[in-house]
Amino acid sequence: MREADERYFERLESQLEEAFDVAEEAKARGGDPEPEVEIPVAKDMADRVENILGIEGVAERVRELEGEMSREEAALVLAEDFAEGRVGDYETKAGKVEGAVRTAVALLTEGVVAAPIEGIDKVEILTNDDGSEFVNVYYAGPIRSAGGTAQALSVLVADYTRALVGMAQYEARTEEIERYAEEVALYDKETGLQYTPKDTETKFIAKHLPIMLDGEATGDEEVSGFRDLERVDTNSARGGMCLVMAEGIALKAPKIQRYTSQLDEIDWPWLQDLIDGTYDDDAGAEAEADGTDDADEDDEGDADGDDANEGDTEAGDGSDDSTDGPPRVEASTKFLRDLIAGRPVFGHPCAEGGFRLRYGRARNHGFATAGVHPAAMHLVDDFLATGTQIKTERPGKAAGVVPVDSIEGPTVKLANGDVRQVDDPKAALEIRNGVEKILDLGEYLVNYGEFVENNHSLAPASYTPEWWIQDLEAAGADVQALQDDPRIDLEHPRADRALEWATAYDAPLHPAYTYLWHDLSVEAFCALADAVTDGRVETTDDGDVLVLPYDEATCDALETIVIEHRQRESAARIELDDWKPFVRSLGCAIRQTATDGAALESADRETTTVELERTWTDDDLSERARMWGEKTGNNAVEAVNEVAPFEIRERAPTRIGNRMGRPEKSERRDLSPPVHTLFPIGEAGGAQRNVADAAKHAETMRDTPGVVELQIGRQRCEHCETETFKNRCPDCGERTTPDYRCPDCDQQVEPDEAGRVECGRCEVDATCVEFREVDINDEFRSALESVGERENAFEILKGVKGLTSTTKIPEPIEKGVLRAKHDVSAFKDGTVRYDMTDLPVTAVRASELDVDVGQLQALGYETDVHGDPLRHEDQLVELNVQDIVLSDGAAEHMMQTADFIDDLLEQYYGLEPFYELEDRQDLVGELVFGMAPHTSAATVGRVIGFTSAAVGYAHPYFHAAKRRNCDGDEDCVMLLMDGLLNFSRSFLPDKRGGRMDAPLVMSSRIDPSEIDDEAHNMDIVSEYPREFYLATLEQADPGEVDVKIAEETLGTDLEYTGFAHTHDTTDIAMGPDLSAYKTLGSMMDKMDAQLELSRKLESVDETDVAERVIEYHFLPDLIGNLRAFSRQETRCLDCGEKFRRMPLTGDCRECGGRVNLTVHKGSVNKYMQTAINVAEEYNCRDYTKQRLEVLERALESIFENDKNKQSGIEDFM
Amino acid sequence: MPLEVTARIVSELTSRGYNVEREAVTKLAAVANPDAALERVVEDLPEDTLVVRTEHVDATLSNGDAHATGAAQRNNDQPGVDSDGAGAMRSVGATDGDSTPSGWTANTPSTVGGSADRSPGETKGSKPGSGRSTDPDLRSLEIANDMTGESTGTGEYEDFVAVFRDRLERLGSKLRGRVNHRPATAIQDMPGGEEVAMVGLVNDVRSTASGHWLVELEDATGTFPWLVMKDREYADLVEELLCDEVLAMEGTLSGDSGIAFVDSMFFPDVPRTHEPSTADRHVQAALISDVHVGSQEFMHDAWNRFTDWLHTPEAQHVEYLLIAGDMVEGVGVYPNQDEELDVVDIYEQYEVFNEYLKQVPGNIEMVMIPGNHDAVRLAEPQPGFDDDLREIMSAHDARIVSNPSMVTLEGVSVLMYHGVSLDEVIAELPEEKASYDEPHKAMYQLLKKRHVAPQFGGHTRLAPEEKDYLIIDEVPDIFHTGHVHKLGFGKYHNVLAMNSGCWQAQTDFQKSVNINPDSGYAPIVDLDTLDVTVQKFS
Repeated sequence: MREADERYFERLESQLEEAFDVAEEAKARGGDPEPEVEIPVAKDMADRVENILGIEGVAERVRELEGEMSREEAALVLAEDFAEGRVGDYETKAGKVEGAVRTAVALLTEGVVAAPIEGIDKVEILTNDDGSEFVNVYYAGPIRSAGGTAQALSVLVADYTRALVGMAQYEARTEEIERYAEEVALYDKETGLQYTPKDTETKFIAKHLPIMLDGEATGDEEVSGFRDLERVDTNSARGGMCLVMAEGIALKAPKIQRYTSQLDEIDWPWLQDLIDGTYDDDAGAEAEADGTDDADEDDEGDADGDDANEGDTEAGDGSDDSTDGPPRVEASTKFLRDLIAGRPVFGHPCAEGGFRLRYGRARNHGFATAGVHPAAMHLVDDFLATGTQIKTERPGKAAGVVPVDSIEGPTVKLANGDVRQVDDPKAALEIRNGVEKILDLGEYLVNYGEFVENNHSLAPASYTPEWWIQDLEAAGADVQALQDDPRIDLEHPRADRALEWATAYDAPLHPAYTYLWHDLSVEAFCALADAVTDGRVETTDDGDVLVLPYDEATCDALETIVIEHRQRESAARIELDDWKPFVRSLGCAIRQTATDGAALESADRETTTVELERTWTDDDLSERARMWGEKTGNNAVEAVNEVAPFEIRERAPTRIGNRMGRPEKSERRDLSPPVHTLFPIGEAGGAQRNVADAAKHAETMRDTPGVVELQIGRQRCEHCETETFKNRCPDCGERTTPDYRCPDCDQQVEPDEAGRVECGRCEVDATCVEFREVDINDEFRSALESVGERENAFEILKGVKGLTSTTKIPEPIEKGVLRAKHDVSAFKDGTVRYDMTDLPVTAVRASELDVDVGQLQALGYETDVHGDPLRHEDQLVELNVQDIVLSDGAAEHMMQTADFIDDLLEQYYGLEPFYELEDRQDLVGELVFGMAPHTSAATVGRVIGFTSAAVGYAHPYFHAAKRRNCDGDEDCVMLLMDGLLNFSRSFLPDKRGGRMDAPLVMSSRIDPSEIDDEAHNMDIVSEYPREFYLATLEQADPGEVDVKIAEETLGTDLEYTGFAHTHDTTDIAMGPDLSAYKTLGSMMDKMDAQLELSRKLESVDETDVAERVIEYHFLPDLIGNLRAFSRQETRCLDCGEKFRRMPLTGDCRECGGRVNLTVHKGSVNKYMQTAINVAEEYNCRDYTKQRLEVLERALESIFENDKNKQSGIEDFM
Repeated sequence: MPLEVTARIVSELTSRGYNVEREAVTKLAAVANPDAALERVVEDLPEDTLVVRTEHVDATLSNGDAHATGAAQRNNDQPGVDSDGAGAMRSVGATDGDSTPSGWTANTPSTVGGSADRSPGETKGSKPGSGRSTDPDLRSLEIANDMTGESTGTGEYEDFVAVFRDRLERLGSKLRGRVNHRPATAIQDMPGGEEVAMVGLVNDVRSTASGHWLVELEDATGTFPWLVMKDREYADLVEELLCDEVLAMEGTLSGDSGIAFVDSMFFPDVPRTHEPSTADRHVQAALISDVHVGSQEFMHDAWNRFTDWLHTPEAQHVEYLLIAGDMVEGVGVYPNQDEELDVVDIYEQYEVFNEYLKQVPGNIEMVMIPGNHDAVRLAEPQPGFDDDLREIMSAHDARIVSNPSMVTLEGVSVLMYHGVSLDEVIAELPEEKASYDEPHKAMYQLLKKRHVAPQFGGHTRLAPEEKDYLIIDEVPDIFHTGHVHKLGFGKYHNVLAMNSGCWQAQTDFQKSVNINPDSGYAPIVDLDTLDVTVQKFS
């Protein structure tokens, strides 16, 4: 580690310690469930694993093993330790297996995610039909967060431990095997699996697995065959089990095999068959063989027979098996599935006019992100904003959108006939109303690492200046000299210079003047060349303009190749600036000829006129050029190369289709309804859970107002034997402890070392929870008094209906009073949270963070990315791994939280305030926790600045440490002191998943080796080599090219630094601050905008969009609501009581109030007419229209009286 | 035996103005020289004969013709020619409940096999080929409980309440005479220990911690809990209970009148003494369902064999064809259905179905109700098809009525119901009481509850109408359902319960959930005896 890094971490840790001391002092006052801070600090992964599992000795053993072997191997060694009792204090075989499996999962997930504690419910011993014992591992839904490899390894470890402790293998019964197959299919249908094994595959696995996989029911749908099995408790799908089966074992078989082969005790020979796919006896294999044959035949057909042999070798990958077509990726429609109304499609798969793939990593980019030009964000009607998720065609499935303005912007056709490329977001806003058609969405920046991460073969690269410069250099030009020449802009050179370089060095034409010839057919190309010969050149003040006669075909061709021009239909002309490279590309010679006498008036100038002459005929084109393209002759690039005097590369061979996923997020996390204090008030507070109301509530006239019977934890003061529910004895002020008593014999029971409380005599679990009358009025008033607040300090103080934790220890109301005062609300664990979409950034400018250089310097930033001393606000500095940028909303919320904490320390704990913030600049340098859903470990971060984008920018390693990537994932930040003071395990719900999303442990420093390895695939170079670009044309495997990725620096001194980028961006918050999806009001408005945009976009087939919106949104909604209507529950409007069926009395049986339907006609048919209109307007296929027709009639039949028909559908609506 | 012979005999006789009994044809066809024999039979016929009967044939053949004996012997070797032979399976005189013939098998009659290569075009229309009686005076067909065009519900809360009140009222009336019932609210106020009875809808059934059952009954005044002790004889019946069915309970009030202990339970049920009506003449009805035209799995060939068979003399007494729903595969019934459709256009599906209907002899009376795949509302009761679809299916002038409907054929009442609720009955009840392998047992439950779809809120969907059309008000003589694609029949208190199979081969979905459909069977019911013959065409 470099000294600078060491300093950085020490600084963070000392700051953390300082806060810890304050928190410990506060906690020691005893008002909280525990007298100390409940989030232990973990310095490394071993600590986290031990803390999450709560098994002593694991950390030490993990550290011992860490240097010697991989984590997977360590998991297996630990399994031995568990089996032999060296680690963990388990007496039973089941306990040993359970400990080993949990530890393995914790180890493989670096002790961050909740899977090891929440995803594995239990391990039990069952008996085979022959009486031998086998292991049954009981998985639960949260095992999902472990990921496939850890899931699969958990099974292996279970089996290994099983073998070591000496138990038999599981012999699955036939009906159990069949059940697995049906269940996995059912789960896939209901919830969806990343990988769905075929039935035969599932059965094969089930048959051979040496341990039984079982689990909790996670869905309502039940299997229809193979029900009520003896050894399977439920008829519903067991989600955890299905995940382990499908995404674990079936998908990760090769990985498990690597470890089974090393172990003598166990033998999984069937894995090889699983990997080879030879489990299917014969039928499947044959089918597969057939499939391959078909593909071969097709290929041969396409290849015209002359290279049939080549076609044979690469079946299925149609793009590079033929020499007769340009290199292209295959279109994939997956991302269009489940299209949602209101979230537009930006491009159909590989569609012309869609985003053009450009390679590179911008500084706010590179970890499941996509760089889009901010002008494009505005032009797609603001649907894209920084952080908006897009579902994309490739290389991954989804990405978070980041603004990058160093790439090309979109090209649009305006109502006045101008075709313009828009490279400035301001200009985009100005012209947006006049946009008739978006001809091209501009470039789409994807970094090399994304292809590595997704193991996606490289897609052919766009021709871009960074590549061209290397081409020029390779052609022998002195690029350094050109770069140093201040008159030359290598990115945007003048046309004559571009032509000069192209001819002088024999290098390809500069990309700025390379048009999208590959989208033009050869036929249209020839026609365009003809059209140009009819053109003339006019001289204006702005230079020469090429004027072509107006013609629709010409316009189409110019729009297709995306060249800027002006269509003037009324004047019957088309004007082009910078026309020379265009004309030369068309193989037309430019000749100057003397004018005739007509031009005598301006004798000194304009004595010559320019003539454009086509130097070739259609027949001059070679057979190859004429036939070139994916479809015969649909790609003119070869023709261009034959007739142009220079080489032309394909400008944009890869287009990437995508659609909007979920919108970006930057919002406070409130429970619903929001909670200020985790103090139970039952129904007394009304639907609002208003504590003040509860304090006045009385059931009857006889009751004392505010006295409510509640289920609450009983505590006992050891000192004076007082019973209370408080953490401090109200009589003597001593700390109290939970008072467990046996429900049968009422004897007091003390918890044993493992935390179990079982009555020794009755053998039942003792409990400290009791129903007790609590005077909420008194509690509320004394809380107000103790913190010195009046009731008018806040609008409303909301409590909870009941507590969900095991011991039901309530939080002191005082905390709630202060939260309410500062308008912050508590999460289930007592912390105050703010959610933001994750985005990565590796270098920042003070100017974009709303901080000054001095503040950065105070945080330890001394130099910029080039090593120059930091002096100006616009210098780029490399971000430290635990520094984060807050959105404006988050900063605001953190300010409120800080004020709450200060009041809490002063007014409740009686200490000095900690933060004392004046304005948000004071937040810079403060520590926070970052914490992702489904995990149980928080990561310490430090605030470095603010952004107007509604996202949380941070170092990719910070996100990876939390187990997030940036493809639209969101997680939360908490203020450090809030977590330390207010978090308690005692508040966590006593149910599945209760310990997820709670900071059971915190990581004080990030070890790059212990984060999600996804982040290691990020490339960290400032330019990609020419070989890389050439390799993309071959669609090479990303591993075959040499671009440095973060993985290479792991474990070196440079592991925290040197994250170079290829593209800069002016500001990390450009484009709209919020997606239109969030600013538009109703679903209808969103959908109208979505369909409107689909019409404007050249790259989108609006009929398909309409079809999908109906298919995936409207129809399921209509069908679902109609189904719900005809079997609905009813509810009392007055008391809220629900009835499975309408009461025969008609009125509420509980209170006599009015009962009504829960699903009304209005909610059933609200989309009906819209759907019909959309189907009609966008010309959907008959199948869709008929489905709507059938539904409409069903609605009519149910909701209309046959004898009293409405006159028209409008009246009906 | 080639079909042509029998067909020729029939057509020859009809051309001379005679109808002919099926057995007579069989006998004639079995003779060495049928044409000659036929001539002789006709010569011997008494002057006023209208129908050529077996006696006539026997008389003529026994007049010293040596061929007769040999022919009779050959007859025995040929199943299917003799209608009493093994060719078709008969369920004779099944009496009650469990007396269902177990393990029925049906062989393909050879006559049917022989007809496979005949194109449907030849036999369609109303050619009098089979010698079917076309005398309209002999036939009668009445419809009751058809709610097509009578749907007055508008989906309001009150509509729902009205339907359930109507159910309690009408089914309750069948029970009120049997117990000394009191309203729920009145029971609460009675002194503890009293004998008490109540008629109501089952509102809730749950087991208590000690293994007893708590059944909550609801009537128009409120609810009252009834405890069924686990060791009482009625405990078994609790397993059969479905929510929202109507029943009566009799028992003793607890000391505090908070609960009553059940001594006996009464169901609306079909009286054990029920005597079915029968037709006055030998006439048959074919009961089918679930044709699923438009599906890739629709069995064209089996259907063609079926309609061909209807043209044969063997089928001459089949004068009615009842189809219990799912004429077509439909659109949008499940996700991505379009990929598995042979005919994607819903209207075209009905057009194709109509073409298949045309193959049915024109002189057969037909009644159809919709099912859950048809293009009508899914909520029950389902009105018969709308005018557009009726127009399309006009070829045969079939009677199109709602699901459910009561159809009376020459005095024999047939309750037609598509059968969606069977799924629920099978799911809720223990395997031995209702299963997909014995769908008729699930039907017995519905008969017992006197309601085709009692339970609200689960699989079955309800559209509220002014009255509960799903009640089995009058006891039918035959209860006909489909939907589960399984063939099964039997008698319950003398009511013939018939779940017809389907005309769709096993689908991928069915394969995945382990369902083996009974495809290509046509159960034929003798309306004069309610005996069943199953013809197999697949």
